[in-house]
Amino acid sequence: MGTISVHNLRKEFVTADATVVALENVSFEVSGHEFVSVVGPSGCGKSTLLNILSGIETPTAGGIDITEGERVARLGYVFQAARLLPWRSVIDNLLFVQDSRDEAARERCRRYLEMVELGHTAKSYPGQLSGGMQQRVGIARAFSIEPDVLLMDEPFSHLDAITSRTLRRELHAMWDATGKTVLFVTHDVSEAVELSTRILLFAKGGRLQGDIPVDLPFPRDGASDEVALAKAELLRKFESLDLVAT
Amino acid sequence: MSVVVAHPRRARRRLEHRLLGVVRSPRFARWSSWVAFLVVWQLSIPLLPTLLLPTPAEVGEFMWDEIRGDTVAPQTVYEAFGVSLVRLSIGLAIAFAIGIPIGLLMGLSKKATWFGHDFVVVGLAMPSLVWALIAAMWFGFGNTAPLVTVVLAAVMFVVINIAEGVRNVPKDLLDMGTAYDVERRDVIRHVVFPSLMPFFFAALRYALANAWKGLVLAELFASTNGAGWMIKFWYDAHRAQGIIGYALFFILFALLIERLVFGRLSARVFRWRPQAGALPRPEPVTAKGGN
Repeated sequence: MGTISVHNLRKEFVTADATVVALENVSFEVSGHEFVSVVGPSGCGKSTLLNILSGIETPTAGGIDITEGERVARLGYVFQAARLLPWRSVIDNLLFVQDSRDEAARERCRRYLEMVELGHTAKSYPGQLSGGMQQRVGIARAFSIEPDVLLMDEPFSHLDAITSRTLRRELHAMWDATGKTVLFVTHDVSEAVELSTRILLFAKGGRLQGDIPVDLPFPRDGASDEVALAKAELLRKFESLDLVAT
Repeated sequence: MSVVVAHPRRARRRLEHRLLGVVRSPRFARWSSWVAFLVVWQLSIPLLPTLLLPTPAEVGEFMWDEIRGDTVAPQTVYEAFGVSLVRLSIGLAIAFAIGIPIGLLMGLSKKATWFGHDFVVVGLAMPSLVWALIAAMWFGFGNTAPLVTVVLAAVMFVVINIAEGVRNVPKDLLDMGTAYDVERRDVIRHVVFPSLMPFFFAALRYALANAWKGLVLAELFASTNGAGWMIKFWYDAHRAQGIIGYALFFILFALLIERLVFGRLSARVFRWRPQAGALPRPEPVTAKGGN
C-alpha cells in the first residue's frame, strides 16, 4: 500500500493560439487501502493528473510524492484503451512491464491472468481477443507488477454495460484481496459510488472542488436503495458546486 | 438390401451448376485473360509487317533452351541472374546501411527533415536511367557502376519509409512504457522496432523494384555480364525472342522473390495480425459467468 501526495499541482499546455490550464492548484493525499475515484466533466484534467503521477507528463508547478514507506512506490496503470503490444502474445505483454523475465515473473503473470479468467489466452495475440478481454489483460498487467499504487483512467468507458459491470466486480475483488491504493478516474458517478471509499470532485479548469468520503459497506449493489441515495446525494453536490464553470 | 439410384436429370443439373461456378470464378477470368492474350499474340504474328516479332511458342522454346543451359550466349540464364542477384543484394545492403540511420535521424528530428527533405524528393523523382548513365560514366565497365546504381536507386526509398515509420511509432505504447518504467532498450526492441516493420517492408519492396530496374540498365551500359547485359546481347544478335524471353525471366524472378522471400518473411513477421473476418477468441463458459 502506497501514499500519493499532491501539492499545489499546476499543469498548463501551451499551444500556438493559447495557454490551456489543465490543472490548477490541486492538493490532496491518498494512502493505505483506499479506493479513491476522481470524478468530473470531460476536460477537467482527470487524465492529465494520472499522466503526471505516472511520469508521462511533467507538471508546470507544484509537486508529487508517491511513496511506500521510505522508498518510491511502484505504479501500475490501467489505461482507457488497453494499450497492449499487438505483436506480442498476451503473456509477453505482461512480461514486458516486469523488472525481470525469469520463471518467477512468468509464473506471477500467469497467476494474474488466471485471476482475470484469461489463463487460456496466454499465447494468443491481443488482436484475437475481444475489447473486454483486452481490457482484462490490461488490468492483469497492472496487478502483475504487484504495484503499491494503481492508477486507472476510465478503464471501462469503452466497454458495453454488462462487460464493464463484470470487470468492476473483478477489479473490486482484486483490490480487496491485494490491498492496493487505487486512484480511479471516471466521469460516471454510479461507477464512482459503487467502487470508491472516497471521491474527489474536479471542475473544468482543473480545480479540485470536493473530497467526499463514501461510507457504505461493500459489496455495493448498484440497484440498492442506499447506493441510489448516495448517487443522488453526490449529484446534488455536483449541482451545488460550480463544476462546469471555468 | 436397398440400392440408391441417382436421378440422371438431377445429376446433370448438379454438373451444370458446378461448371457454372467454375466459369463465374475470379480465377477462371484471370486465366482466360492470359489464354486470350496468348491466342491473339499467336494469331496476329502472320498479319504483322515484320519478321522480328516472335510467336509465344518461339519465346517458350527459347526460354526452355535457356533453362536447360543450351544457349549460344556466353552466359547461361543462371550465371546471368546469379551475377545480378549478388550485385542487387550487396547494393541493397549498402542502401539500407546508409538509409536506415538517415531515416531514423529524419524521423526523430524536424531540423534533419527540413535539411534532407529536398534531396529525398529529388532522389525519389530521379529516373533509374539517369543513375545508371551517371554511374557508367564515372566508373566505366565492371562491378562498381551497377552497384552504385543499385545504391542510388534504392537509398531514398529506405530513407523516406524509415523516417515515416519513426514518426508513426504509436505514442500511446511509448507512454505505456514510460508509465511502467520499462527500460529504454526494451522499449526500442519491443515497441519501436516492431512498429517500424511495415515501413521496413515497404522500403524493401520499393527499393528492390527501383534498384532492379536501375541494375538492368547499368549492366546494359557498363557491364560485360549479368541479366541486363544479356538483354543487350540478344538485342545485338537481333533475336527478339531472347529479349522477350529475358523480360519474362525478370518477371519470374520478381515473382519468385515476392513469393519465396517477401511472402514467407512477412507472413512470419506479421503473424500477429488478425486474419480478415476472424472473430475474437470465445470466452469459455464458466459457472460464475453470470452477473
